[in-house]
Amino acid sequence: MIYDEPRFTPGGDRFIEMELGDELNFDLNFLVHALTARVREADFDGIIELLPNMASIVISYDPDRIGYDDVVRKIGGIFASLGSLEDVELPSPLYTFPVLYFDHVTRACWEDYCARIVEKEYDPDLMVRLNKLESRAQLARIHSGTEYWVAALGFYPGLASLIALDPRCRLTAPKYNPPRTWTPKGTLGYGGSVTCLYPARTPGGYQIIGHSPVPVVDLEQRLRAFRDRLALLKPGDRVRFVPVGREEYDHVEAQVESGEYEHQVAAYAKFSIRAYHAWLETLDMSIRF
Amino acid sequence: MIEVVKAGLETSVQDFPGRYGFWEQGFPPSGPFDMWSFRLANLLVGNAPDVAGLEIQFLGPTLRFERETVIALTGATMAPKLDGAPIPQWESVAVPAGAVLETGFARIGARAYLAVAGGIETAPVLGSRSTFHMAGVGGMEGHAIEDGQHLPLGACAKDGTPGRRVKEDCRPPIPKENSWQIEVVAGPNDDWIDEAGQRMFLESDWTLQARSNRTGFRLTGPEWTFAARATDKGPEHGEHPSNILDHGYPVGAVNLCGQTPIILVNDGPSAGGFINPYTVPSAAFWKLAQSKPNDTYRFHLVSVTEAQAARRAIDALCTESSLEDAR
Repeated sequence: MIYDEPRFTPGGDRFIEMELGDELNFDLNFLVHALTARVREADFDGIIELLPNMASIVISYDPDRIGYDDVVRKIGGIFASLGSLEDVELPSPLYTFPVLYFDHVTRACWEDYCARIVEKEYDPDLMVRLNKLESRAQLARIHSGTEYWVAALGFYPGLASLIALDPRCRLTAPKYNPPRTWTPKGTLGYGGSVTCLYPARTPGGYQIIGHSPVPVVDLEQRLRAFRDRLALLKPGDRVRFVPVGREEYDHVEAQVESGEYEHQVAAYAKFSIRAYHAWLETLDMSIRF
Repeated sequence: MIEVVKAGLETSVQDFPGRYGFWEQGFPPSGPFDMWSFRLANLLVGNAPDVAGLEIQFLGPTLRFERETVIALTGATMAPKLDGAPIPQWESVAVPAGAVLETGFARIGARAYLAVAGGIETAPVLGSRSTFHMAGVGGMEGHAIEDGQHLPLGACAKDGTPGRRVKEDCRPPIPKENSWQIEVVAGPNDDWIDEAGQRMFLESDWTLQARSNRTGFRLTGPEWTFAARATDKGPEHGEHPSNILDHGYPVGAVNLCGQTPIILVNDGPSAGGFINPYTVPSAAFWKLAQSKPNDTYRFHLVSVTEAQAARRAIDALCTESSLEDAR
């Protein structure tokens, strides 16, 4: 549910968790980001950082500059003055990532897991079976058939939780048990109802179904998109995956390696929840791609 | 420059308070774990309290100073020697060009801080020199220092004065015993734990596991019991009572991962799917920083107001007024 009144709870002497609801719900997550944007605009003295997530925001503050009660009062006041969510429009850059589905990189990772840890069904086949799809081709079609919303980042720097905006493209996947000890950087993963691009070689638990040569984190800041940041995506951005063949994949990979690659992004794009809701109404929910 | 003769167990460049502004993308603050000892080390050598220095963990480095400078070593009690002769801690010491500092093992406490006049001047990343080595950010090439590296030093704004000392009662009182009382504030998710579970947490001894580092401090103790909210919840919260819909993690959160509490510290994850029934406030971080595996913790509940007052009391000690002439 979405709470009528947000709930504030302390996290020690310099953090507050603000819960706006307790479910996985796109409108609720949009509310989280709309509120985060408004609090940032208000630029209260003493509020240091905001950490928006699925249904809550963790606020860090400097207790020498603002007290707990004042943080609650000021942010609660902004919540109360938000007005109708339908009228909110947020900047939402749209990034496009080329993906080689069912690729050699993640297949090698799955083979290594089967050999060293435990035998398991090939991840794309498991997703096809559990989601009652016809084929791997349909899995790729559905996965790449929607824009994704960056609902949150975290756990690892640059790791974004992506939610399908077209409800017909929502899939589900169980997590690895036990988890993988390594996952290649650039792996496309799916766990629960969330998809992600692994920003670095890390352990992992999501099913792995493809690979993109385009980085979401660049610690050396070699590529142009990283001139002012180490991690590409921010909450409220959008992502689209475009299936490519091996030739295009190799071409992009070479461009990334040489430092010439330019990320594809519609930086001007905005997201209107009213327009999104209206679009949802027009969908034929019986169609599966 | 400082030549790293031996790097020690895990010695890293840190500055105060660390890296802020990129948390929502998953970059933690990092920075010195015991910020009390760190700031005093800087003040001793005439630096501003935020300047980058070295955090030394358990086994310290051996360093050769390529130019004359002034240093100070605070925090854990080591057995520092300069060119083979013992030197005092909590005191600024003149170092001639070419001198070698050996720091050895931590004897009381776990983490020591080395400040050098002018500071360590590695390239800042996102506004901070602090090392976040799990992801390879900041510090020396993103990681703890290594044998054979040369650490760049900043120019001294003013030369440090040797023979300055931190007054005894202005230092963190690192105990010789292996048991600690650690303050906690209830929340954000204390309502997921039932009354018996809350009592259990505060009335039990918790042992610090060896698998603890700047990311998290894992604890061993009794079983947790849960309130209705933890068991009667939507499927998006996950299966285990300690699972919750992904949310942000305060630094200091006592993150309950199944039955294992992990205190998330300076390099901890920014978010995840476990509850945080309690949070260790910043004023108790020096205690975490100075404790060792197998030490025991007893948690003591304080209010937000008390936690903030304790923080102010430490901040007030991290000033020039805590210093005196050694002779």
